Order: sequence, then structure tokens, then C-alpha cells
Amino acid sequence: MAEQAEDQVQDASSDAGQEPEMDRPGGGAPAQEPAAAFTEPAEDIGTGGKSLEIGNFRVFTDLRLPEFDMGHCKAYAADSLSRSDGRVFALVTDPVLPTRYDLLRFLAGVHIGGQIDLLDHDVAYWPPFGRKTMVLFYEKPKGGRVIIASGKNRSIDEQDIASVVVEPLMNVLQALSEKGLTHRSIRATNLFFADAEGGAVILGDCASGPPGFDQPLVYETAARMASEPAGRGVGTLADDLYALGMTLAELGIGRRPLAKMSDQEIMDIKLSKGSFQAVASQEKLPLVLIEPVRGLLSDNADERWGFSELHAWLDGRRTKPQQGNTEKRAARSQNISGKDYYTVRSLAQGVSKNWVNALAPLRDGSVEIWLRRGLGDNDRAKALSDAMRQLQWGGSDKRAAEDVLIARSIIILDPKGPIRFKGFSAMIDGLGNMLSYDVQHGRGPQRFSDVVAREIPSFWFGRQEGFNPDIHKLQQVYKNLRYYVQQKSAGYGYERCLYSMVRNQHCLSPMIEKEYVVDIGQLLPALEKFAENAADESWPVDRHIAAFIASRLEDDVEGQLMAMQNPSDEVEYSRAIISMLAIVQWRHGPDNLQNLSHWVARLMEPAVKVFHSKARRERIETEIPKLAKRGNLVELYNLINDEQERRKDQSEFVEAVAEYSEAESEVFDLESSGSARLEMAETVGQQAAAFASTMIALLTVSALFLMHMF
Amino acid sequence: MAPRGKGKKTKGRGAFSGLSIIASAVLLFVVALPTFVTLAVGLLPSMAAFIFDRSPGRMMARCVFGLNFSGVAPYLLELWQHGAQSVGGATQHVFQPLALSIMYGAAGLGWLMYLAMPPIIANILNLSAQRRISELRKNQRNLIKTWGDSLIKEVDR
Repeated sequence: MAEQAEDQVQDASSDAGQEPEMDRPGGGAPAQEPAAAFTEPAEDIGTGGKSLEIGNFRVFTDLRLPEFDMGHCKAYAADSLSRSDGRVFALVTDPVLPTRYDLLRFLAGVHIGGQIDLLDHDVAYWPPFGRKTMVLFYEKPKGGRVIIASGKNRSIDEQDIASVVVEPLMNVLQALSEKGLTHRSIRATNLFFADAEGGAVILGDCASGPPGFDQPLVYETAARMASEPAGRGVGTLADDLYALGMTLAELGIGRRPLAKMSDQEIMDIKLSKGSFQAVASQEKLPLVLIEPVRGLLSDNADERWGFSELHAWLDGRRTKPQQGNTEKRAARSQNISGKDYYTVRSLAQGVSKNWVNALAPLRDGSVEIWLRRGLGDNDRAKALSDAMRQLQWGGSDKRAAEDVLIARSIIILDPKGPIRFKGFSAMIDGLGNMLSYDVQHGRGPQRFSDVVAREIPSFWFGRQEGFNPDIHKLQQVYKNLRYYVQQKSAGYGYERCLYSMVRNQHCLSPMIEKEYVVDIGQLLPALEKFAENAADESWPVDRHIAAFIASRLEDDVEGQLMAMQNPSDEVEYSRAIISMLAIVQWRHGPDNLQNLSHWVARLMEPAVKVFHSKARRERIETEIPKLAKRGNLVELYNLINDEQERRKDQSEFVEAVAEYSEAESEVFDLESSGSARLEMAETVGQQAAAFASTMIALLTVSALFLMHMF
Repeated sequence: MAPRGKGKKTKGRGAFSGLSIIASAVLLFVVALPTFVTLAVGLLPSMAAFIFDRSPGRMMARCVFGLNFSGVAPYLLELWQHGAQSVGGATQHVFQPLALSIMYGAAGLGWLMYLAMPPIIANILNLSAQRRISELRKNQRNLIKTWGDSLIKEVDR
């Protein structure tokens, strides 16, 4: 088991280090900007001969615009069919990474000073991928990228940074924070000049992938940097402000801070010295930027500069000085796998990176003693000792209980950090995107399921101090996850968690995955297309589609999901499936689904069996092809779900069964009562003979008397 | 206790009935000897039947007696019609071959009727059962025609 765990950790780390391959979907890894993103030497830049129309735009699939690539997404030349200025480009998202629904809704068609204008977005077939994906249409920034290929930076005068960079970016952050949104893609390489003169910058795309996915590690806060890129989470305004601080540092220095260090080294130095000290000790910051960078890179979110401090700085007023590193440092170190750790956060990271070896110091109480004596942190020490006590009650699965202990210990040490479980590492608000990434990149849902089944998120919520409405909201979302994971039937499982947590997750059913179905309204048209060549025996609703419908549909389909729990009951199973599809068509159309209707009609045989009367069945079997031809699933469903007719059929059938049974038993009685009947005939015959004899005697005597008298 | 009591009651009533018959016979013997002789000779088969038939209800004896009495009754009436009733006259009447044939023949007919009636009734009952069975089978066929094999499956379940 120990070796397995180590292997898992190693696998996870090697996966995370994959290079992106953006000519196919699922290149998936965060882009290594700026160099890797737009200095691809072998890239063919076409002539724009091939184009396709998407909504109001024409996109040239062979005309790349590498200067507008954003993060992991590639940009292509595009024309607006409704506008004449032609300053449009298309950003093609990676279909195996979910886009950000809330931001797309908010930004589409809206102009926010400081943010690149998102004109529209649409799901469209993208020939290089051979499947559909989300395409975002942005207005081209007039001034080009702020940081272009290395050595050719159009530097911004450090005295102008406040007006050229900070003010527009603050405007964006204010607009987003008013709506409870975060940008999470604020970095120097995602900045463009709004005009040719370079008087102001605008922020690039932030909606094409999971939040923070494309951010270099140095741009992530100490709390979030330990998370895998896909699981960095939506975060808060404080995370965007931190990224703004690092952006200012990069613009001031002229290159990315700590660029020569590996991710692990960046994490180590930020955890040991604090973010600002880490940057300041390695790079030479311009004097004018030291104050805002120090304020924005504060590792304590509560002490980090907000809008008021930034406004004060813009106005030339001095603000309160910031501590470099507020993390408490122990007098002595705690050693894990040969490495010394002095802060709880770095120790948490050390434990997560040395999953198996960290168990011994946790179990023998040395970490607890270190917390008490080295840090004087009795609260954490007590929580750790409670977790240890729970390990003793852990039950029969000792290995699982030990894993839970390690995961809980990490949360105790770093309660604001990501949930870490073996190789898994994601922020609580990034669990959904992490699951999406795992599922679509071959890791499978097991790690997520383990985390949820072992109630690690619940423990994380329990370790948060004070009331935070965002966390409370998240808690409500995660309340149902364990139930979903524990349910094995269609409509539940990790699939339900995925679609419940990630609003823009497209349906991953193998039948329609390439159709990139994000909204419930796109589901039936995609199925209609698949139905053209669907195998006769297959069902049009699988686990993914059931979960997708359950999560996205406004109506409650729990009844149908319950009926689907037993696939061997073909009648109820088929009725539940037809019912679900009919509700979707009724709610979202389209009116005519001929292929799907014919597919469903083929599968209606078990549902027709619900009627016992041959005449009724024949009538329905005659009706089905007619209705299928009209493409209306609702009518098909109503045909087999006429409750009055079903009840009548059922009651008549029950009567018929009773009548048949009575007849059968009467026939049996008659056939088996031969000897009894003979006995009865003997008795009755004798009685009849005696009666007849007596009657004859009476008649004779009476006749003789009468004859004598008359 | 009840069956024993009932048995006692039946036995008592039978004893009473036998006693009353004997008492009637003695009275008849004293009061109307020719009638007694006619009855005693004419009802000999019935008396034999009553003696040998030990079945409950003595159906055979009743059958024989009914027709036997029908055969004796004309001669009894003839005896009463002629004013001079004497034992000789009665004996002369009774022992005529024709009279004996009629009286004992009637008793024989009663016995035959006792033998013939049960098979006749059995045939009637069998025919009635056959007709009912075919009627029920026809109904079942109609039900299967309406409801199909699911009916059989449901019944078998």
C-alpha cells in the first residue's frame, strides 16, 4: 500500500508536468507563457482560405493569430458578419477544460474599462479538433500585447504604472467584485495595450478555462499555490489583488519574478520567507512599486491591500506599512523525509508531498509536540491529537483511516490551503474543476470520490474560523456530494457531482461528448444527431446524460432516477428514460426529433408491455410509428403513460386473472370430483327412488280410494 | 357426547317404531285378523327388506315397501269392500297366484328402482359437470384471447 501511495504521488506530479499539445483537445496543461505560448517555431500560419461561420462571425481556421493566444487557448482570425470594423479574433477553448459560465454571462456584450471586450461566445464544430468546442469572440486590443517575445518588451515607465496598469485593472476588479466574481487570470502576460499609444492596458481572457488554470505558480497566493492548476478555485477578490501585486512586480522588474526557480523552489521560498520577501530578495523591484507590491503580496488575506489602500496609493498618500511575513516561524524545525520545516504551512505542504513517510511523525506525536513546544500553538496541537484519537477508532480499514489522518492533519496545519489527499490537491472551491480535469485527462474520478466519501471537505469546513458567507454557500453545495457519490445508480455518482459543481461542464456521455453539450437545450439536438446511427439495443440515456439532466433540468426527476435504479425492470427503466427525455423536449424543444423518436420507439417495447390488454397493445403499437414520425417524444410518452387507461387496464386485468383462476379451480374441482359425484349420485339416487316409491304408494292408495268412492 | 346421544335417540326412536309396528300388528291381529293376514302375506318382501337393509335411512326397504304396498292396497281394499271378512276369504284372495305376482312383483319393481336410480342420477350429474367444464374452458379461451399470454403468466405466478 505504501508503495502504491508513493507511486500515485509520483504519477500525479508527472502528469502535472505534461507539456501542452494544443493542436488536439486536451492539451490541457496550463500554458507556459509567454515563450511557449506564442513562439511555436513549427506552426503553420495559413492564408485564411478555410473559414467557417459561427453565429455572427466568420472564423478562418487556418489563419492563426499567435499574438492573441491567451493561456492555453489559441487565437484565430475572424470577421464579424454584422460589424464592419473587423477588429475581431476568435479564441478557441480547449474542449476538455470547462469554461467559466458566470464570467461568460457577465462579460458577453458588455464593455468594462480595463477588460478586453468579449463580443460573443458560441459552441461550434472546430475542424482541427474534429469536435465541437466553445469559441469566444473578442475585440482585438488596439495596442497589442504588453509583454511580447522575450527581449522585445514594450516597457511601461514605472512612474506611469499607476495610471496605465493599476487604474484600469482596479476598474475591472471593482466591476467583477460587485457581481461576486473573480478574474483569476491577472498576470503580466495577459495584458494588452488598449490603444496604440500605450496609455492604458486591458486584461485578457479570463473565462476560457478553470479559474487560475493558466496562472504561473508565482501568481498564486501561498494558500492556493499548493493546489493543482485545475483545482485552484474561484477564489476571492484578495486572490486577484495578489495577482495584481505580482503583475506590478513583473512589469517593474521586466520579467517574471522568480522565473529561474522551479515550482517547488518558488513554493518553498514563498512559504519560508513570505511572498514579498521572496520576490524582493531575488529581484530588484523599482522603488516606486515596493509599497504597493508589498501591500498586495501580503500572505495574510486580511492584511492584503484592498481598493482603499490602492486608491490612497494612487492619490499619493502613504498607507500603513505591511509586515513581510506574518507566518509564525518555529524555534526549531520539524523534519519530514530529511527536510526541515519551520512553518505550519510549509509543513502541511511537506506532509502532502511525503504522504507515506509523514505518517510516522504524525502518529508518534512528534508533530503535535512540535506544534506545542516549537510554535506554542496549543489549538492546532489539540486538534491534531483529536484526529489521532479518531484514528484509533478508525475501524477495520486501517490504511484508509491513516490516509484520513494525514489529510486531516494537513488541513489542521494549513486550514486555508487546498484539500490534499494522496496525489489530489484542490481548493475547496476548485473541487469541481479538479474533478472535471481528472475525468477528462485519464485520471478518473477515484481521487475525488475518495476525498468526498471520507468527508475531507466536511472537516475542512469545520476548521474554518468565523462566519464567511462564501464558505457557507459552498457548504450548502457540498452537502449533497457524499450522497451522490455513495449512490451507484444512474443519475448519481461522481457524474452528478461534476455537473452540479461545474456549471459549464459539457456532457461527457460518449454518445454526445464531441457535441460539447453545455446547456440542457443542446442535449436533445445532439442526441438526435447521434440517433441517426445509434445501435438498436443501446439506450439514449446513460449515466452521464442522466446526471446531466438531473443537474441542469429545472424539473425534479428524482422519481425517474429512482425507477432507473433497477435496469432489470425493463418496463420501469424504459418508461423512466422516455419520461426524462420527454420532459426535456417539453421544456426546451425542439419540437421535431424524428431520429430520436424512432430510437425511443424501438425501445418502447418494454413500456408497451405495461398494458395487459392485447387490443390496447395493438392500438399503441400502431400509434407508435405514427407519433415517432412526428418526432414528438411527449406524445410518445403520453401514449404509454395514459394513467387513466393504465389503471383501467390494470383493474380489468386483475378481474380477468381472478375470473380465469376461479374458472380454473372450478374445472379442477369438477374434474377431480368424479368419485365424490358417484357417491352423491348413489345417495341422491337412493333417496329419489325412496321418494318415488313413496309417492307411487300414496298415489295408488289415493286412486283406489277415489275409484271406490266414485 | 352428542353423537352418542343422537345414536341413543335414533336407536330409541327405531325401537319405538318397531314396538309401535308390533303393537299395531297385535292390535290388528285382534281386531281385524283378515286384514292382518292379507298384510302379513302381501308385505312379506317389505318385511324382509326392513330386516336385511341396515343402511342409514333404509332406502332400499322404503323403495320396496312403497311399491309393495301399492301392490297389496287393491287386494286390501277388495277385502274391505266385501262385508263378510273372514280369514278363509282373505287367505283365498291372497294366495291366488296373480295376487301374489302383483304384490311381490310390485315389491321387485321397488327393488329394481332402488338399483337403477343411482346410475341414472350419476349420469345426469356427469353430463352436467361436462357441460360446465366446457363452458368454463370457453370463457378461459376468450380471456386469453383478450389478455394474451400475460394472463397465463400472472395466473402461474
